[in-house]
Amino acid sequence: MPLLDIRNLSVEFSTRAGTFRAVDGIDLTVDEGEVLGIVGESGSGKSVTSLAVMGLIANNGRVVADRMDFDGRDLRTLSERQRRKLTGKDVAMVFQEPMTSLNPCFTVGFQIMESLKVHENMGRAQRKRRAIELLEQVGIPAPESRLSSFPHQLSGGMSQRVMIAMAISCNPRLLIADEPTTALDVTIQKQILDLLLDLQKDRGMALILITHDMGVVAETARRVSVMYAGQVVENRPARDLFTHPQHPYTGALLDALPERAIGKRRLPTIPGVVPGIADRPRGCLFNPRCGFVQDKCRREAVPLFPDDGGSARCFYPLQVTGGVAA
Amino acid sequence: MTAAPLRPEAPSSRVQRETVLDAVDLKKHYRLKRGLFRADATVKAVDGVSFALQTGRTLAVVGESGCGKSTLARMVTLIDPPTSGELRFDGRDMNAGTKAEAKALRRKVQMVFQNPYGSLNPRKRIGTILEEPLVINTDMGRAERRERASAMMAKVGLRPDQYERYPHMFSGGQRQRIAIARALMLNPRVVVADEPVSALDVSIQAQVLNLMMDLQEEFDLAYLFISHDLSVVRHIADDIMVMYLGRPVEHGPKETVFAHPRHPYTRALMAATPRVNPLLRQDVAPPKGELPSPLNPPSGCAYHKRCPHMTQRCADEVPPLREVDGRHVACHYAEQMD
Repeated sequence: MPLLDIRNLSVEFSTRAGTFRAVDGIDLTVDEGEVLGIVGESGSGKSVTSLAVMGLIANNGRVVADRMDFDGRDLRTLSERQRRKLTGKDVAMVFQEPMTSLNPCFTVGFQIMESLKVHENMGRAQRKRRAIELLEQVGIPAPESRLSSFPHQLSGGMSQRVMIAMAISCNPRLLIADEPTTALDVTIQKQILDLLLDLQKDRGMALILITHDMGVVAETARRVSVMYAGQVVENRPARDLFTHPQHPYTGALLDALPERAIGKRRLPTIPGVVPGIADRPRGCLFNPRCGFVQDKCRREAVPLFPDDGGSARCFYPLQVTGGVAA
Repeated sequence: MTAAPLRPEAPSSRVQRETVLDAVDLKKHYRLKRGLFRADATVKAVDGVSFALQTGRTLAVVGESGCGKSTLARMVTLIDPPTSGELRFDGRDMNAGTKAEAKALRRKVQMVFQNPYGSLNPRKRIGTILEEPLVINTDMGRAERRERASAMMAKVGLRPDQYERYPHMFSGGQRQRIAIARALMLNPRVVVADEPVSALDVSIQAQVLNLMMDLQEEFDLAYLFISHDLSVVRHIADDIMVMYLGRPVEHGPKETVFAHPRHPYTRALMAATPRVNPLLRQDVAPPKGELPSPLNPPSGCAYHKRCPHMTQRCADEVPPLREVDGRHVACHYAEQMD
């Protein structure tokens, strides 16, 4: 049984311009101790998906799913109270901007100990010991003196380490990291990613890593889902995805990377932009920007077609040789 | 309405590269007041940077936050005067002339900022934004200004009917096109681009990089391209300068530096850049620790506390920037880096 099992999850927001479907019928499964990467550009719905799993969607949003199980428990039927017991304990999250996700008014120690108090029922001295231990685990030098630091006294990398310490404080079984390194410098990014993966391995935690950076997923995840305009367009093991993408969007996204264009003067681009609330196309959502579009793509909505090793939401998947990916 | 030629004086010969802008030992030190009872501190934001920008070429400045790359951009665009050192534009000292001369020079060096959501005035129409440099710096009439703005919009891939629109009606990529168009309105010869694509998605980033390269070719622009992303730099730059804590640590032609980096910091940056292709991946541990405080930089080589090759000499002596194997590098052991 997978740890997290989600079928046909949709998240809709009512806005003044009408109902906007940010997440459109996605399936997601994560096994115990697995690293799943979710890649997508801005507006692809990857953050909203993670917020829906955490139960953090605001009041104007509506979450519907055929199934939403965590460790065999149905997340849809949990009461608010039961949900709060789960969130932050068994499922924890690391957010994108460490500098703004920490509360500036409280010390680092207070913020780490808060969740220990709520979820683990520890005494004061025990909490303090645990907080020091956690800061040590995430590689913060002189952890004891850091407990009384305020967030503004920390660098971006240090803040993210504190966020990670908070997230793992109650030994979560699933950690969702939403763009955990986007705001950080590359050498610090590497440190944080290594830290997340070490923690994941040591604790046998499942990790969902959400990012827009193809390089980051390629280096960390074993399995990758590519999202576009609220849908999952491709699922594949990482090593196959980056060598033989089947969906034209994945292929085009990889081709746009400067890393792959060494020796070429011009970078291949994807024309147009991600569809918004007003211009959602009929049929395949990628069809207006696709280089291989056929009539059928403009008429019919595309299901995810399974193939060997993964699945792709395309009537005419890229061949292993030829196409943009070659 | 026919578009006026935007750059009639553009040189026809592309082979002849001339140096437009020369920076000699630029320094920018900030004094920091630390209260009544403590002595003022000095932050050496940029501490001795020299380079030459040539027409039609791109110099990329790479480094992590706090390395002084944005301070450098502010000096080159004459926003901040350097503490010492010289900036020469076409051989003339940029900071020596009168106010009027400085104003004329500013027209020749323009800037594109990182965040296209913050750098465009949300209350102004695109047309107004593009015409503003002309209103301030020239005595062109209304019709001529509009003609120039429309022509520039076409050049950066915007439609003329978008002239009356406001910035919020555009996507991030389109906004960055507008910002680039604005920078080019006064026919500059040098464009300083401070992280121009780091706020953009991959597919949009590719479009903007292509546009910048096309415009460079058309107008023979010299780019000072500031970035932290080595894969972007590798694509767009001709020369690369890696900075660490206000000083250049490696500076040379892109091919030379990428083929064989000779400074440990350059190597660490390259190893830390995430790669899609597993063959390009280097499994090297990232440098330990974080950037030291610029208020209290380490003795000797600023990088020595994080460097795996550190010796006593690195803690004692500041390594000078010297020529090794076709590039300049500031490391005592540059020859041994293999």
